[in-house]
Amino acid sequence: DHEKDGSGNMAKKYSRDFLLKFAEQCTDLPQGFEIASDISEALMTANVNAFHLVDRDSY
Amino acid sequence: SSSSKRGVVEQSHPLEHSWTFWFDNPSAKSKQATWGSSMRPIYTFASVEQFWGLYNNIHHPSKLAVGADFHCFKYKIEPKWEDPVCANGGKWTVTFPRGKSDTCWLYTLLALIGEQFEYGDEICGAVVSVRGRQEKVALWTKNAANETAQISIGKQWKELLDYNDTIGFIFHDDAKKHDRAAKNRYTI
Repeated sequence: DHEKDGSGNMAKKYSRDFLLKFAEQCTDLPQGFEIASDISEALMTANVNAFHLVDRDSY
Repeated sequence: SSSSKRGVVEQSHPLEHSWTFWFDNPSAKSKQATWGSSMRPIYTFASVEQFWGLYNNIHHPSKLAVGADFHCFKYKIEPKWEDPVCANGGKWTVTFPRGKSDTCWLYTLLALIGEQFEYGDEICGAVVSVRGRQEKVALWTKNAANETAQISIGKQWKELLDYNDTIGFIFHDDAKKHDRAAKNRYTI
């Protein structure tokens, strides 16, 4: 699924089918991901543990 | 627990561009007068694995609250008219009934990060907007006056989505001046 462009550089193109193969392998949040607790509630599906939460509004 | 697997996934598929997810939180909107002031960058990713790691843990458009805007823009391009890269741009928009845009949104994201557009350099990013009766997905581009590029992008996008209705392209400049009355400059 990689394509070379005319200059010989790798143009990093990935087809939809190729990308979809990774969907089930990558279920964990990326390392280092952090999110404010107020946004987390509206955006994240579930189980975002305290490890990923930062409280932006604390004094 | 899934935490035991963390760190084992190899970052082996870099993307051509880094992309940033931005979220505009509807619950914060009512408290803040200025549009976009509640918009925040959520995460910047540069690999296929990072993309899925986030995508698999966030709500898809059908589960977001009414009023939410979720953006995926090239790193360092802000999803605002005022951004210098977006200033002379415009957008194609596809519209779906409430709850029906999830597949379109995913396919749009995959086409962006997989660099499937012939005029990919012209693309700033995409946004899904959840409203009371509908969900809109828009593709933002850089040079609205470049008709060849916009028509190519619009046609390719419709094909990728298998979307058969007519879609329109609006210049940000027109949207600024006329708001909802802005007319399509191109339709396909």
